[in-house]
Amino acid sequence: MEVNSVQNLCNYLITCAIRRCRISEDFCRLSISVKSSPQSTTPLLWISVSDTGVGSTLEEFLGLKFANDPIVADKWDGVICVATTSISDKEIHHFKVNLTETDSSRRMTKLHSVTKNGAKFSGTEVSLWISENIDDLLRDITFFLRKMLVLKAPVSSYELFRFSMLILPTIPALKNVLTSDFFFLKLLWSQCESHILQLASSSLPSSAPNIDQLKSGFEEYVSKHGNILNDVCHRCFSTGSREYLKVGSGVACSTGNQRSNGQVMEVVIIVSEIPETTQSSCFRAYDKKTEILYFKDYSPCSISQSSLDALTSIKWKDYGLTLRSIAVQDGCTLLEWQNLPPFAHIDIVLHSYHKQVLILPCKESSQVDQSLTRKAVKLALNELKEKNGGVLLSERALKICNYAPDLAKTIAGLILSSHDLSFKGECISLLGLQFQEITRNVVEDCIKEKIISAIGLNDIKPQRTREAASFLFDDEVIQELDTLDEEYEECEEAFGS
Amino acid sequence: MEGKHSSPHSINLLKKIKDFTRSILEDLCNGCSPTIYIDKFRTYCTESSGNCCCSSDLPKGKEILTLQRECHARRMDVLLRVLMVVQQLLQENRHASKRDIYYMNPLIFKEQSVVDRAINDICILLHCSRHNLNVVSVGNGLVMGWLRFSEAGRKFDCINSPNTAHPIPVHVEYVEDIISVAQYILIVEKESVFQRLANDQFCRQNRCIVITGRGYPDVPTRRFLRLLIETLHLTAYCLVDCDPYGIDILSTYRFGSMQMAYDAKFLRIPEIHWLGAFPSDCEKYHLPQQCLLSLTAEDKQKVEGMLLRCYLEHEVPLWRAELQLLLDRGFKFEIEALSVHTLSFLSNEYLPSKIQSGAYI
Repeated sequence: MEVNSVQNLCNYLITCAIRRCRISEDFCRLSISVKSSPQSTTPLLWISVSDTGVGSTLEEFLGLKFANDPIVADKWDGVICVATTSISDKEIHHFKVNLTETDSSRRMTKLHSVTKNGAKFSGTEVSLWISENIDDLLRDITFFLRKMLVLKAPVSSYELFRFSMLILPTIPALKNVLTSDFFFLKLLWSQCESHILQLASSSLPSSAPNIDQLKSGFEEYVSKHGNILNDVCHRCFSTGSREYLKVGSGVACSTGNQRSNGQVMEVVIIVSEIPETTQSSCFRAYDKKTEILYFKDYSPCSISQSSLDALTSIKWKDYGLTLRSIAVQDGCTLLEWQNLPPFAHIDIVLHSYHKQVLILPCKESSQVDQSLTRKAVKLALNELKEKNGGVLLSERALKICNYAPDLAKTIAGLILSSHDLSFKGECISLLGLQFQEITRNVVEDCIKEKIISAIGLNDIKPQRTREAASFLFDDEVIQELDTLDEEYEECEEAFGS
Repeated sequence: MEGKHSSPHSINLLKKIKDFTRSILEDLCNGCSPTIYIDKFRTYCTESSGNCCCSSDLPKGKEILTLQRECHARRMDVLLRVLMVVQQLLQENRHASKRDIYYMNPLIFKEQSVVDRAINDICILLHCSRHNLNVVSVGNGLVMGWLRFSEAGRKFDCINSPNTAHPIPVHVEYVEDIISVAQYILIVEKESVFQRLANDQFCRQNRCIVITGRGYPDVPTRRFLRLLIETLHLTAYCLVDCDPYGIDILSTYRFGSMQMAYDAKFLRIPEIHWLGAFPSDCEKYHLPQQCLLSLTAEDKQKVEGMLLRCYLEHEVPLWRAELQLLLDRGFKFEIEALSVHTLSFLSNEYLPSKIQSGAYI
C-alpha cells in the first residue's frame, strides 16, 4: 500500500492491529494514543497504535510504500517504530522501519529486545512522530473510529476486540490550544468513553451472529447520526425507539474455493422515515444522498470497484428507487437518488471479510466480490421489503397498491352487507378482530393492510414467476381476443349482449 | 339469513359468493395475494390442423388473477364491486340492468364493457348464466307473427295482429303458454328489413314468426328464439346482409359469441339455416352494379379473420365457401338492395322462392 497521507497511514495501522486481534483467540485491547511534544515549536505529535492481538510478522509494514509527495514528507519522516511479541516469545522485539530507504534489505533495523520475565502475553505497538495539526488528526481518527463502532463485537468470542482512545495532551501543548479545541478534546474523550461502555453493555451476546452485530451497530450509527451523538437523536427518532428505522440485512458467502478464500459479504440497509417537523429542528441535513459505509476485514475503507459495479448493476427500480448518480469523493461513496420519498433517507453499510483471517490480505476475484455484493444487497433489500409492508415497493407494485383502498372497501362491503350473520362473524374472526368493536373502517383498514402486505411480498418474487402465473394452463392464445385483455374495449354490439 | 323471497337458486348463488369472499379473505390472512381462477371458454379457434376441441363446452384453460399485475388488480376491483351489487340483488330479490350497474360507479368503471366483462367473469366463477344473477339487459329484439305467449302473467297476442312488432321479453325464464300455428321462424338481421316485412304484411301471407335482434342479438333475443325452436320444433331461417358483419351476426346466432362462450350451450341455435343473402344472389336476382359496394380494407381483414374460425370449416363448410366467395369477388350488398326491382320484391319473391326451393344452407 502506498502511504499518501498521515491519516491514510493511521487508518492502515489501526486496520493491521484489528487483523492481529482477529487472529488472536482471546479478548484483545486496541489502544490509540496521541501525545504532543512540549519541547517542539512545531506541532509535533507522537502517535501509538497498540493491541494485544497476535504478534506482528512485520511483513505488513515492509510492504508499505512511501509516496513521493512533498506534503507527506513534510509531515512524516517515513520512520515507524515497532515493538512486538508473540505468545511464545520470551522477549519483546523492537524494530525501526524506515520507508524512505529504497534498498529493501536495509529498510528494517532490529533494535534491542526486552525480556518478558516469563510473562505470557502477545501484542504489538506501532508508533511514529508526525508534524500535524492535532485537531485535524483527531477529527480524522474520530471519524474513522465512529465508523468502526458500527461493527460492534465481531464474529465469535475469540475474535472479539475492544478499543479505547487515550489522549494525553501535556500542559504546554494545551496552552497553545484554543478553548473550543479543549472542549473538542473533552467531548471526544467522553464520546470514546461512552462508546466503550456501550460496547461492554451491548444487549447482544458476544456469540450473536456477525450480521446481527452489524445490524445493531448500524442502527445505532444511524440513530445517532453517524455516531456523532452520544444517544439516539430524539428529535428525529421520537421516544428513542427505532420505529422509524426499517432495517434489512443480507449475507452472501462464497462457496469457499481457493480463489474466493471463504469470502463473506454482509450488507445492512436502513430506511429512516423522519417526520417533516423534526427535519428542520435537527442539525442533521437530510438529502437524497446515501453514503455507502464500506468495511473490509473489519476496517473502514474505500469501496472496491467491483462492489461499486455491483451497486450500479442492481435494478433499483424493482425497489421503487431511481439512481441518479454514483460519486466517489475523498474515498467516500455517495449514491444520489432521484425519487426518494419525502422524509425518507437510506443508509447502507457493506462489510466484506474472510472467514479465515490472514496476516496479509490476499488478492481477491473481483467477479466473486461483485457477485457477493449484488447478492447481499438484494437480500437486504428483499428482507427490508418483506418485514416492512409498503416500503421500497417497485413502481409497478405502488400502482397496484393504489387499488388497495378500493379493494379493501369492496371486500369489507361483501362481508358486512351479507345478511348471513354467521358468515360475517366467521370473516371478522378470520381477520383477528373482535365482533363487538367492529366498524366498517376497522374492517377496511385491516383488509387494506393485508392487501398491501401481500402486494409487497409479491413484489419480491422474480418477474419471471409473475409473468408465467397469469397464463398458467392457457393452452392457446386466441389472436382476436388479445386486444381485450388489458382494457376490454369491445363495443356493446359486438359483445353479444 | 337471505331474503324471504330468494329462490333456491339465488340462495345457492349467495352461498357461492360467500365461499368466494371467504377464500379471498383466507388468502389475505395467510399473507398471500388473493388468487382468482377464471375458466376460459371459446366458441372457436384458428387452429388449422382440425385437432381442436372447440365443439366441446368444457373450459379451455384458466386465467389467474392475482395482485401482481396492475390490470389484474383493476379487473379484480371491478369484479368485486359488481359482485357486491349482485349479492345485494340476490339478497333483496331485485333486478338491475347492466347499465344500472355501470351508473352505480361510472368513474371507476369508465365504460360499460368493463362491467360486462366483470359480469361474465362472475357467471364463470359461479357457474351460472347472467339472468341467474338478476342482471338483465334492456330488451332489444322484436317479434311478430303467428305466436301467442305470456311472460309473468302478461299476455303477448301477436296472432291478433301478426304484422305488428312486439318487444321480446327480457325475463325469458318467465315466458310460458307458447302457442303458435307458424310453419317456420324467420330471423332478420336489421330492424329496417323487419319493418319492410311488416309493411308488406308478410306474416299475413306467410304462416311464420319473424324475429330481429336489431344487429348483434342480445341474450334475451337468443334465449327467446331458442325457447321457441325447442318448444315449437320449427325450422329457423336467417336473413342477413351480404357483408362480413351480416355473416358474423349469423354466426353469433348459430354458435354464440366469443365473449359469452361460457354460456354458449344455452344460447346457440344449431338448427338455424342461412337463407341469404349470398354473394351468388347478385347474379341470380340480377342486382345491378350500382347496388354493389366494394369491400373495405377493414371488411377484408374481418373476412380473413373469420375464414380461420374452426367452426366454419368443421360444421358449416358451405357458409365458409360463401364467405370465401365474398372475399374473392370483393364486393358486398345489403338486403335492401333487392328492392331495386320493386319495393316488395323481398316479401313477395325473394323470401318465398328461397324457402320453397330450399335455397338455403
